[in-house]
Amino acid sequence: MPDAAMPDAAMIDWAMLDVAVLLSIGRHPVSGRARRAATDAQALEMALALRPRRLTAIHAGPVADGEALRAYLGMGLERLTLLVLPEGGDPVEPLVAHLRRLAPSLILTGRQAEDGEGSGMLPYLIARGLDAAVVPDVVRIGPADAPDTKPGSANLVQALPRGQRRALIVTGPFVATIHPSAPPARPSAFGPARRGVIEPVAAQAAADLFLSDCEHRPWRPKPKLMRVKRGGSALDRLKAATESKSGKGQLLVNPTAEAGALAIYDSLVEQGILP
Amino acid sequence: MSQPPTTRRRVDPRAERAARTVLAGSRPRLLRQPAANAVVNERRRDPRAVHEAALVQRQPRPRYDWTRDTASAGTPSAAGVFVAAVPAIPLQVIAEPAYLVLAMLDRPGGEVSEHDRQVIAAARLLADGGSDGGGSGNGGGAVVTVSTGSGEALAEAGSDRHVALPDGWADDYVPERRAAATLALMTALSPRHVLFPDSADGGDVARRVAATAGERLFAGVQGLGPDRATRQSAGGSRETGHRPTTLMTVAADAFAPLDGVRHEARPLDLATPLVAGEEILPRLGGARRLAVDPDALSLSETDFILSAGNGVTDWRSFAELGEALGATRAGSRVVCDAGHLPRDRQVGASGTVVGARCYLAFGIAGAPQHLQGITGVRHVIAVNTDLHAEMIKRADLSIVADAQAVMPALIRLIRERRHA
Repeated sequence: MPDAAMPDAAMIDWAMLDVAVLLSIGRHPVSGRARRAATDAQALEMALALRPRRLTAIHAGPVADGEALRAYLGMGLERLTLLVLPEGGDPVEPLVAHLRRLAPSLILTGRQAEDGEGSGMLPYLIARGLDAAVVPDVVRIGPADAPDTKPGSANLVQALPRGQRRALIVTGPFVATIHPSAPPARPSAFGPARRGVIEPVAAQAAADLFLSDCEHRPWRPKPKLMRVKRGGSALDRLKAATESKSGKGQLLVNPTAEAGALAIYDSLVEQGILP
Repeated sequence: MSQPPTTRRRVDPRAERAARTVLAGSRPRLLRQPAANAVVNERRRDPRAVHEAALVQRQPRPRYDWTRDTASAGTPSAAGVFVAAVPAIPLQVIAEPAYLVLAMLDRPGGEVSEHDRQVIAAARLLADGGSDGGGSGNGGGAVVTVSTGSGEALAEAGSDRHVALPDGWADDYVPERRAAATLALMTALSPRHVLFPDSADGGDVARRVAATAGERLFAGVQGLGPDRATRQSAGGSRETGHRPTTLMTVAADAFAPLDGVRHEARPLDLATPLVAGEEILPRLGGARRLAVDPDALSLSETDFILSAGNGVTDWRSFAELGEALGATRAGSRVVCDAGHLPRDRQVGASGTVVGARCYLAFGIAGAPQHLQGITGVRHVIAVNTDLHAEMIKRADLSIVADAQAVMPALIRLIRERRHA
């Protein structure tokens, strides 16, 4: 068994890629049934597309609802490691200990659990435990191809709000969380899902005291936040609350095509849409 | 009663008839012309004159004073524009705060976003309602905003103190440095709570800070009081409540931004300058924005939409214009029904409700279902041949012209300006 350290000198060997995928059990938003978690399945899809030399899929949790994990096996996995934790145990410590033994160069996971606490902290805590970098909202991973970068670094594409994308270069092993706009996960096939092997591994986990300190109740939808305009007369406020915004804007009646185009262009420049 | 000259003379047909009647002769005769001096019936009351005399103010709505007598009534101010004195918002000063609440803002592109204001509002809830605070006066907590840029814009959002991050961080992607700076601030100021927006960047920094500090993060706070914070868990099906923890992220649209308040937003003088973030070696680097194909974006997430309605027949120009502007193409229901655009490009109640920053509509009349789809759009430009179309009323810039003429002219103009 290798020493408890990440691979040599912060390098990713793309020819001998070693990937770990952390999978959780999802929850259907309407029916509440256990299923494969959407972004975790996308993380597995991305790991499979990288064609790594070794791919390890790990789930940490109670053994009770392990059947939902078979949907991941149906995507083309042969085996899946199940770290068996007691009910209410904190999965971070056992996962960090297990990953330290495996020492993968790349850890992929979804960005937030669909069930349980769902704080999105797990990738960060694992990166902290393994002393790796963490990159959120990844949609593409590949080897860095620019000539001036270090050989072991990776080129990532991150999803930003409003559909924008950002390219990043990461050196050394890293933990990446997958954004929902990453390539969609392949469907799960029934036969491979039955044939795949779930390997239970017993693990010790401390109870999560914070969660047991919280009180839980069913979620009741809150009233939508309305942007109420304050000030002015009662009539103004009523209008602002009830009427949709009607333009007090500029009106050009039958301009020449050039004049109309110029007005549109100036307006777009003013809004900062065009340079 | 004396009649004011502004009102029309009241007609008293009986008196006039009596004045024109000549009783000399066997039977009464009527004169064709009215009598020279028309008789005024003293017993008739002129309600318009009475109202006019009692009128004190005409705008914004009429006000009458029935007690004053008509003789002494001065004419009401002719224009009648009543200007209400705008009450000055009192400045709230928290000189000696009992504790601090940090609000780490995103400020994307340098401007204070709506989410940033909501975070400050949530921080104010914690600062004003603290157990050892006396309300909003001295002794309560103070909100310290931390962001790039100056704090002047944050005074009316409710910030008491401001810490400016280095200006270079506004455009760069430096989450590790932001996290290190937050940790340095936490050790320097020892705030009671640190709040982040639960946005892509803010949430990322918050989780980095929580992992490094070993603190528990209460993510996506939906409700907040001095002794209880709630959030959604289990995929949104459960509410989890706890005492407010040190580190929290605030969900979008959970708190109303403050209005009508004015705080100091005074720069906070730190004993040690904020350089902790500069020392660490970042592992993430070479960040650059990628060009994205606007037509590959979904309508709900794009920022600039070029939309076509039934008035567009020149689809080649429409496509060229979309390319020239770098806008996402969309259409009304009619256009998608006719097969000119795919169904996922339909804007409206039965298509996508869009929240773009700018919406450029060609040949759209503005059916209610379509206007419903663009309620969230900030700036609408409409080109339509019908002056009375609903879309023209909604738009911020309306051009009554044929789309087929304006589109090629706009393409030519953009190409000219780009080459110039």
